[in-house]
Amino acid sequence: MSLLALDSVCKSFGSTQIIRDVSLNIEAGEKHAIIGPNGAGKSTLFHLISGRYPLSSGGIQFKGEAIHNLPPYEIARRGLARSFQVTNIFHRMSVFENIRCALLWSEGYRYAFWKLLGRQAELNRKTHEMLEQIGLADKADLPSGELAYAQQRALELGIAVASGAELIMLDEPVAGMSNSEAENAVALIRRITEGKTLIMVEHDMNIVFDIADRISVLVYGEIIATDKPESIRSNARVQEAYLGEVPSDA
Amino acid sequence: MKKNLALWGAYALILLILPSVFSSVLGISILNQMTIWIIFALSYNMMLGQGGMLSFGHAVYFGLGGFMSVHALNLIADEILVFSVTLIPLVGGAFGLLAALFIGSFSTRKAGTVFAMISLGIGELIVALSLIFVDFFGGEAGVSGDRTYGPPFFGVEFLQDSEVYYLGAFWLFVATLLMYLFTQTPAGRMANAVRDNPERAEFIGYSTRRVRFITFCAAGLFAGVAGGLFAINYEFITEENLNALTSGRVLLMAYIGGLGFFIGPIIGAVILTLMNSLLSNYSEMWMLYLGIMFLLTVMFLPKGFAGFIMMHRAAWANGRLGSLALPYFLIAVPASVFLLAFVGMVELSHADELLHYLGMSLAADSPVSWLVLLIMAGGGAIGVRLARARLSDAWELANAAAAGPQSQEAQR
Repeated sequence: MSLLALDSVCKSFGSTQIIRDVSLNIEAGEKHAIIGPNGAGKSTLFHLISGRYPLSSGGIQFKGEAIHNLPPYEIARRGLARSFQVTNIFHRMSVFENIRCALLWSEGYRYAFWKLLGRQAELNRKTHEMLEQIGLADKADLPSGELAYAQQRALELGIAVASGAELIMLDEPVAGMSNSEAENAVALIRRITEGKTLIMVEHDMNIVFDIADRISVLVYGEIIATDKPESIRSNARVQEAYLGEVPSDA
Repeated sequence: MKKNLALWGAYALILLILPSVFSSVLGISILNQMTIWIIFALSYNMMLGQGGMLSFGHAVYFGLGGFMSVHALNLIADEILVFSVTLIPLVGGAFGLLAALFIGSFSTRKAGTVFAMISLGIGELIVALSLIFVDFFGGEAGVSGDRTYGPPFFGVEFLQDSEVYYLGAFWLFVATLLMYLFTQTPAGRMANAVRDNPERAEFIGYSTRRVRFITFCAAGLFAGVAGGLFAINYEFITEENLNALTSGRVLLMAYIGGLGFFIGPIIGAVILTLMNSLLSNYSEMWMLYLGIMFLLTVMFLPKGFAGFIMMHRAAWANGRLGSLALPYFLIAVPASVFLLAFVGMVELSHADELLHYLGMSLAADSPVSWLVLLIMAGGGAIGVRLARARLSDAWELANAAAAGPQSQEAQR
């Protein structure tokens, strides 16, 4: 059984069809990339899976359970975490608090108002560990809104993976970064998604071919191909859609 | 941890000492008002400052708690209920919470404008109800009670205002501590997260509605505690205590004090209570001054008085706070002159007879009086202008050393 199964997913905004009949299976442990030209509906697909938008028709199953009618927080609690294309952090709170909040639910704290966070040694240890992993340990007490861009992206990633979710969805994690920053980010993504399932939207083909086990190509709301990287590269329809944008030596 | 304990110890000590320092009838009366308003303002800050919910109807929970408390006082007097009046704030809190549980169940679905409008509507609704259910709300006359019945508390019967003060101070301390601790819990932290970014909060597993609801209920509870103290202190409550005026007043307190800081509303409540009690003795125009102060705060100190104090942390850390004293003094003198002239003009504009002000006798129909005030104001304004450059230079210098390592860090 697939970890995540999309079954004829459609999404329209008014009369405009954004996602047309997308079916896709993601296996546990897979690193899956979704590529496609601008406006193909990649981010919309992410929003549909993570519960931000309701589907127009079709269904989505995660670990065998239908999740397409659930609110985002229910989906997140089942072990599906995501990051955002535009940095989406708790900007007035410290870096440390950002990560700690991301850990709260999975650590079982729920809505507790009778437990003092300062006394939760295990929780605070895990928060520090996560900060070490994303390289922000020395920025722990800084308000997250004051971080540099690449650091905010790292925090964005950290919030997504902190909960220990099985399925992690990253929406253009390295967009807007310099080459060296992107390199660091890719190393970070590899490290923190080890042993987990990853779905990633990314424009940088080098990174896509570097990380992904399988690639889906989304064009005008339709998946025109899902395959291993080398097969995708030689796929005629994909080459047509990209007009030779796929680097042949990647 | 030790530092925290010391701070709380100091807080308790100040509360204990205050009535000895301000022992006049007026002093005790003002202190009693402060205990009430500080709790109320802190509870408002839970909503707006920590939870990001702008409410125009927070007085509903204060007022309902207060009304139930007065009724409880009467039940004690009639010997239907037998418990100490020291526990009345709990009655207020319970009914504040009950009202919040009910109203919050639908109003916390959304934050922002929707929430603000619902809070306004609920506020108006309760006011309308108060004029319909006369038995409970007492109509325009309100309801009164008597706090001196009921079993004495270790011999104290609360005949004196000073006895009421210690009761108020006890509940103030407890309420402050609990509200502070709330900010340190998972629910309290998630309230901040939902305030900052409700969308992301949902994607880390939290229902924003539930998070808001919990904060809302906690705020309602403490507003009710403040209402209970109000009932004990005044032995009297009217519809005015749950209407938009009171809701607006607590908003001003929290805002002027500083929303982003736990201590902010305390400062705001102290300042506004002082203005309300003292200034109103001197001038009919005190509401105007309050309005101007609010305006100036919003424009120049968006983080309130607490924010203004916190602005000096860097200079303090640099050990350069002292270097600001002289520039501050140099700007304070002309600023005070300007302010005094402005107040003089306001007072003169509605004076029927000779206005005795700053040792001068001013008349509204005398051009000379106006000219004197205008010259004072002009001189003050010019003085502020001249002193400003010096202050900003001193400010840069005092903060420079702190800015240095930080900017280096950012470059790394």
